Amino acid sequence: MHATHIPSLSSVTVTVNGRPVELEVPSHALLLDVLRDRLGLKGAKRSCDIQVCGACTVLVDGAPVSACTYLAAEADGRQILTIEGLADGDTLHPLQAAFIEHGAVQCGFCTSGMLLSAAALLAEDPAPTRERIVHYLRGNLCRCTGYQKILEAIAACADHRGDRA
Amino acid sequence: MLRPFTLHQPSMLTEVADLLAEHHDEAILYAGGTEVLLLMKEGLLRPRHLIDVKRVPGLDTITATGGYLTIGATAHHRAVECSPLVHERCPIVAGVARHVANVRVRNVGTVGGNLAFADPHSDLATLFLALDGTLTLWSRRGEHELSLTQFVRGEYETAREEDEVLTAVRLRPWPAGTVAAYLKFGVYERPTLGVTAAIQPGAAGRPSAVCVTVGCVGPRPQRLFEVERQAVGESPATLGARSEELGSVAAREVEVVADRHGSAEYKREITGVFVQRALHVATARAQGQETHARYAYTVIV
Amino acid sequence: MSPVAPLRVVGHSVRRLDALDKVTGRARYVTDLERPNMLHAKLLRSPYPHARIVHVEVTRARAQAGVHAVVTGTDFGWCDPYFGPAFRDRPILAIDVARYEGEPVAAVVAADEEAAAEALELIEIEYEEVPAVTTLEEALAPGAALVHTSEPLAGYFADLSTLKPKPGTNICHQFHLERGAGAAAFAEADVVVDDVYRFPRVQHYSMEPHAALAAWDEDGGLTVWASTQNPYSVRVELAKMFRLPLSRIRIIVPPLGGGFGGKTYAKLEPIVGALARIAGRPVRLALSVEEAFRTVRRCDARAHVRLGFKHDGTLWAAECHADFDVGAYADIGPRIIQKGTYTATGPYRVPHIVLHAHAVYTNTTPGGAFRGFGVPQLAWALESLIDEAARSLGHDPVDLRRQNLLAHGEEFAPGDTPIDGKFEESLNRAAEAIRWSQQPAADRGRGLAMMMKASIGPTVSEAIVRLHADASVTVLAGTVEMGQGARTVMAQIAAEVLAVPVESVMVPTPDTAITPYDQTTSSSRSTTMMGRAVQEAATDVRDQLLHIASQRLGVAVGALRVEDAGVATADHRLPYPELLQERFGMGGGELIGRGVVAPGRSAAPLGGSTPFWEMAVGAAEVSVDEETGAVVVESYISVADVGRCINPQQCEAQDEGAVMQGLGHTLLEEMVYEGGQLLNANLLDYRVPRAEDVPGHLHCQFVENGDGAGPFGAKGAGEGSLVPVSPAVGNALTRLTGVRFRELPLTPERVWRALRQRRGEKRLTPPHA
Repeated sequence: MHATHIPSLSSVTVTVNGRPVELEVPSHALLLDVLRDRLGLKGAKRSCDIQVCGACTVLVDGAPVSACTYLAAEADGRQILTIEGLADGDTLHPLQAAFIEHGAVQCGFCTSGMLLSAAALLAEDPAPTRERIVHYLRGNLCRCTGYQKILEAIAACADHRGDRA
Repeated sequence: MLRPFTLHQPSMLTEVADLLAEHHDEAILYAGGTEVLLLMKEGLLRPRHLIDVKRVPGLDTITATGGYLTIGATAHHRAVECSPLVHERCPIVAGVARHVANVRVRNVGTVGGNLAFADPHSDLATLFLALDGTLTLWSRRGEHELSLTQFVRGEYETAREEDEVLTAVRLRPWPAGTVAAYLKFGVYERPTLGVTAAIQPGAAGRPSAVCVTVGCVGPRPQRLFEVERQAVGESPATLGARSEELGSVAAREVEVVADRHGSAEYKREITGVFVQRALHVATARAQGQETHARYAYTVIV
Repeated sequence: MSPVAPLRVVGHSVRRLDALDKVTGRARYVTDLERPNMLHAKLLRSPYPHARIVHVEVTRARAQAGVHAVVTGTDFGWCDPYFGPAFRDRPILAIDVARYEGEPVAAVVAADEEAAAEALELIEIEYEEVPAVTTLEEALAPGAALVHTSEPLAGYFADLSTLKPKPGTNICHQFHLERGAGAAAFAEADVVVDDVYRFPRVQHYSMEPHAALAAWDEDGGLTVWASTQNPYSVRVELAKMFRLPLSRIRIIVPPLGGGFGGKTYAKLEPIVGALARIAGRPVRLALSVEEAFRTVRRCDARAHVRLGFKHDGTLWAAECHADFDVGAYADIGPRIIQKGTYTATGPYRVPHIVLHAHAVYTNTTPGGAFRGFGVPQLAWALESLIDEAARSLGHDPVDLRRQNLLAHGEEFAPGDTPIDGKFEESLNRAAEAIRWSQQPAADRGRGLAMMMKASIGPTVSEAIVRLHADASVTVLAGTVEMGQGARTVMAQIAAEVLAVPVESVMVPTPDTAITPYDQTTSSSRSTTMMGRAVQEAATDVRDQLLHIASQRLGVAVGALRVEDAGVATADHRLPYPELLQERFGMGGGELIGRGVVAPGRSAAPLGGSTPFWEMAVGAAEVSVDEETGAVVVESYISVADVGRCINPQQCEAQDEGAVMQGLGHTLLEEMVYEGGQLLNANLLDYRVPRAEDVPGHLHCQFVENGDGAGPFGAKGAGEGSLVPVSPAVGNALTRLTGVRFRELPLTPERVWRALRQRRGEKRLTPPHA
């Protein structure tokens, strides 16, 4: 009768940072916990837990998503990029280098989410205005930096972006 | 974290209906989850069954037929924001969708989920009210439509029956030549106030008209009929000159509820202010000028 | 101070040591750590602000699958369950009575968080609500219900050994300071201004909420990985509570995801340590943001300030009565009221003062340290009132401040460090940067404010520097990295003294088994105090190197210098590895240097002299949308007198963050309580600044006269720039609108109401165009 009834486990086939992964997860498992606890990818953090702060941001098929409020089961068949996959081996993404260069990193808890959101923005709009950057980062909070250096770092990448999308 | 549940991903509406019938109040419909999952984390909702409607084909489409713009219930806000069709037929909808929450919520949250949740502090319902938003509800008993006013009953309360699925919202874009503005104001995460002002030009047998809706300050979005009545037949220039007066009318007409966004008195006051401002922006546009006005904590679409 | 020799590393914006780990997601915070056999804990919290715990039923919870332990306040007979740096008034879990909504009353330890959360719901607790006091007014009213009915033991801090509670009241500490003729001097003042200001309850919102992981070993020793700003203070607490010698307790501190004071002194470590002992396995507890709001906050305050001036603008007398709400448990509240009140008169000279403060218990989230430590609350009052005084006197507010500024070298209080900066320079730079002498546009207002704060004293910081055989260096310093860049600063100092590349300096994270004693990472003290300890330790190593080289070359030490990882004369250079080889007769060994900075007690009013005075100026230009009351800070200038920026980019980064955090409590942030219930303990309803709130023009500047007591003339930084934000913005708004604001935050509705009252009209309609 219920051909599509899925019991309380979900099979998930997903590409994470370019590598295929097959998992069985409880249906109620959140992507953030699966990434952190099952796959050991601790870069995404839990902070507000209600999609406001962005510390848990990962990219699903290139789009920023709050992993804290995203069922792991939803990731089936999709490509996930976490902070651990942003660099190309030892070559940092221009945004990562810019964050270091511009002093945009302090406690680091917002950094993973901030970088991935910024990367998604630049992929969509390689030369965003400051207003566009600010709008796109509405959901990425930082309590340490006061944002100024983060915005500067992103703007610096907007001018001359690397060959990474 | 979430308490355990069974996740169902039906691929047909009939299956959705069956699941709802089988599990009754132990089941919840789920699309983007941006509200539902939060309530589940807090323990305010404890469904044993989550019915994901995103695999039902056709529920996420955005189409334009017969002069209407129809947005499927599971269309993401981001899809609406970026849809060429929406930009072509009713760009203000794309503009308002662009400012819902943050980009992550827009990537995952759906228009239908947003409307079905009926959070008073939201934008789309206010705008859709001005576009004669009509919602389609499907159940095994049949399909029927409700106006937005009929659908949104109050705070977090809709007319959706337990066995019904919201499948689409149909909007009637304003007649050609209509000039509109949507202003949204607020300091907090959710909007404190949203105002639509649409100035429709007169045509044969019909005087010019204004459509004004206000949301977030009361339990449901509202049409301000008294403001509209007093604005019938006015030219944009006159409307612009009368915008303050019409704002006063709005302030008296609007139904407000005090909450952490403001006292009733304050909400009434800012309703008047932003109706005036929305009219100012719209009338300027109607006269071929884009206003340079910028208001603090305000988004102008 | 001596002319500055060109510095190679210090004074340069070298890259942070931890930046790479943080941008790649490799940095590991407490909640990223796992131990074998680790269990997870969750806390059940009181739903009432004040209630007797009548009965607790845990049978069903204990029987739940995956549950290893269910613990309540009656399960601590084996230890001393009370802790607190001032008063040991806070139980690990509520015992007999819950004193604030959110107080932990029971704990579950389970195989995973899910099982723990489920078990929490099976715990049945019967409460009997009792009267609660949830505001200063309620708590101070005659006959008010008492938050604490017995007198707790005093904690262990030197300056708090004379705690002065008022028995039979909710006042747990009083501070009093008088000078000159006190209040009598007001009779001689020509102009007196007087007003009451309030500062709200705000929360730190460190993006990483509190977390700790504890594990006991077979020998009865305890290790805790803690997100804490002072591992050594935590260690002392745990030693007392669990009756262990200090040497058996090890506190390890990974990087913190923010602290801001909210992670000072024991918070989670006692409960986690106890649970790990009871469960017999490692236990990790990670709070949610909602729980962090129920763990610590800033002390709100009401300050009544009175200032007396002479006609010529001389500040003659000052009186201040401040009540600070420390919440249900005192935490470091008593020291906060002292520190804040001590500089209630700011950086100004006042011959006659009467300063009095109370620390008051209420049935709300405990108040604790938060960037500024009592000073923001009183600077809001003082700096606002000074502007009012300027208006009454007909003087320019900047001139009035300048006229009364303490001079470099002047005494602030007998026994304390004299003023160590040219404050006028900061004031002038800020005034110039905001274009004070020019008229602002008609729709703009400008305001300025100053602050001054004593750093904590006495304290102890000890450091070890190890020079390895290959000339690389390890610096052992217990300063916690919470984003401020302390590890990098310590590396820079050591690299400068030893003339090695900063990349070759390793600074391990604090670990009480490895890094020697450091009192605390707070009070803006680390660059100065631990910096000096590191400098001393590195100098010790350098001296050993010079001595070895001197012996080897037969040259006086005075003719030698360190350069490029070697010791050099005019024509010869011996690399360090060669010198170590010389010293040890083999290719091994290391040179160890030690630094100890412990100025000890002094006759200063707070028990120890401040190592430096933290002083900053803020200047704001604002606009206001009168129809909605929305305030926009268009431009903000901060000038901080820091002596020397060890790392200029990091100083700037810290101050930009401080300003934005200050803007938060000035315009946006407020914990909302109703009937003792905290209504907005989440990021949806508690609004912190976002990128869009950054002023169109934000510039943080520094005055560097090399006149600090820290290495290379440095002082501390990081708190100063937060403090002037609210009074600068308030003053700017007043100058623009003519309305004085006495409460924060300056939310749109609050401003709107105040502006309406100014116009004296009630209206239902929008005002003039």
